[in-house]
Amino acid sequence: MSDIVFLAVSLAFFFVAVLYVYGCQSLKGGREDA
Amino acid sequence: MTLNGWLQIAVFFALLLLAAKPMGLYMVRVYERKKTWLDPVLGPVERLLYRLTGVDAETEMGWIEYGAAMLVFSCATLLLTYAIERLQHAIPLWNPQHLAAVEPYLAWNTAASFTTNTNWQSYVPEQTMSYLTQMVGLATHNFWSAATGMALAIAFIRGIARRESKKLGNFWVDLTRGTLWVLLPICIVYALALVSQGAIQNLKPYDTVTLVEPQTVTAPGADGKPVTTTVTTQTIAQGPLASQEAIKMLGTNGGGFMNANSSHPFENPTPFSNLLQMLSIFLIPAGLTVTLGRMVGSPKHGWAVFAAMAVLWFAGVATCYWAESQPNPLLHGVDQHVATAGPGQSLSSGGNMEGKEVRFGIANSALFATVTTDASCGAVNGMHDSFMPLGGMVPLANIMMGEIIFGGVGAGMYGMLIFVIVSVFIAGLMVGRTPEYLGKKVQAFDVQMSMLYVLIFPLVILGFAAVAVLIPAGLSSLSNHGPHGFTQILYAYTSAAGNNGSAFAGLNANTHWYNSTLGITMLVGRFLMIVPMLAVAGNLATKKIAPPSLGTFPVDSTLFTVLLVGVILIVGALTFFPALSLGPILEHLLLRSGISFS
Repeated sequence: MSDIVFLAVSLAFFFVAVLYVYGCQSLKGGREDA
Repeated sequence: MTLNGWLQIAVFFALLLLAAKPMGLYMVRVYERKKTWLDPVLGPVERLLYRLTGVDAETEMGWIEYGAAMLVFSCATLLLTYAIERLQHAIPLWNPQHLAAVEPYLAWNTAASFTTNTNWQSYVPEQTMSYLTQMVGLATHNFWSAATGMALAIAFIRGIARRESKKLGNFWVDLTRGTLWVLLPICIVYALALVSQGAIQNLKPYDTVTLVEPQTVTAPGADGKPVTTTVTTQTIAQGPLASQEAIKMLGTNGGGFMNANSSHPFENPTPFSNLLQMLSIFLIPAGLTVTLGRMVGSPKHGWAVFAAMAVLWFAGVATCYWAESQPNPLLHGVDQHVATAGPGQSLSSGGNMEGKEVRFGIANSALFATVTTDASCGAVNGMHDSFMPLGGMVPLANIMMGEIIFGGVGAGMYGMLIFVIVSVFIAGLMVGRTPEYLGKKVQAFDVQMSMLYVLIFPLVILGFAAVAVLIPAGLSSLSNHGPHGFTQILYAYTSAAGNNGSAFAGLNANTHWYNSTLGITMLVGRFLMIVPMLAVAGNLATKKIAPPSLGTFPVDSTLFTVLLVGVILIVGALTFFPALSLGPILEHLLLRSGISFS
């Protein structure tokens, strides 16, 4: 059971990290940015 | 402090200075895919790997793709290591001690630890990990996490160097070339050098020897009552140690094959091996400053960054050496100790030797502690918990500054470059002009991402430490109370977030609370800081390079080095000063007043 929990926690963390990549990218776009 | 001690520190720095340039120039050739003398051997291996994995080495990636590839790779290798740990008892290979499966919380903590280049160890390796796990699960991660850090640093440098490009390189190619051309060849020679000094390298079962002098030990029995036994034999752990030791230091990983880490005579047998180990921690990070200078077309800028790192390194080692050279005030002058040591003498003459190896002494213990925490290594040759309060504060403060004093392999360079961005931004604000870095305008997005990088670090450390000092699960495994106990908790989260991995010791972190929260801290401290860093790199790469003007702040000057050091100290020191005040600084003041805590 613990193995499944840790598998889920690991996958969830990296999924959030990928979303975070796109979150950072979405902050870009001000008129001063090249 | 002695002249001999200072000379040893000076020799260390002179050797580092000599090694930095050739190492840096070699890495330029490796990552720019220029010809090297290892190509005839490694070129076919590289091409075979790309063919087997389907990597198109000629296709470059933007920052999002580069970051996604790094995350996917790290996730896969974390799960692989977790699986190996959990299944080690069932794999009929290299487990002569028949060690059981690693418990799930500990296995996950360790997998996260080695994936993030932290190598925090909540376990006793020689009693927990089979040779297979050590080699396939952990040592391979030492290569992968180090090569990942180097690849990310090179990607950042490309972002600075390139103009109007959306590409930062190919993650898979950078990972492969860093492993094959840089880490592996050095480690092969390095491991043999360690063997020449007495480090072991075998797959034998552990030895059992008869003690020359049997020892009488009293310990609580099953019913809690003291039981006295006579111990006549000792088990001496064996294993493929030298090969793991080499990458442990060169890759600034720090996870020991033995629990005693680099204070164990099999890991670090002689003063010469100790010197090699300290140099190898800084070798690649120092070389990367030269790589930076060459790749961005301003070698002097690389040396200016090197100078900033060197100044901070010296400040740390001088403070630590001074603090450890002071006698413990609780021992100094105490009658029974004077009587034991002889008339007119103190047991602590020469300084604080508690927790240090006699064969390394105070100077080399202070230097090792400084180097291992300037970088994200975390290997130890003495117990930081036993340092004097201000001596122990130096390793802690080094990590708190973000491990950018030469720093982790790759991680130190990209962390330092974030501080460079912040520094030129501040310089721009001072003169009222748009800040520029090597001809590129530093704009809102770059500063937002840089500050995100800077703020995540204290947020995760102070957040978890604050919770841990309030709940029984956080307090139950402390060995000391008062400010020293607080420092143990603060150090654990700082070490995890900084991906350092050294332990202050004294805190039993092999609990469900610490295994899970420290695991999360390590992942956040690695990956949620890498992403904004890559975003800055990707954004810088797209910009034009403007010619320097009168308003351009020169980043190859002494003034730049001074400003950079100032920004690092202000950001690092002020962020954590309140926490340090409650820990080592308070302990120092209380100790001077004769107050200590059990």
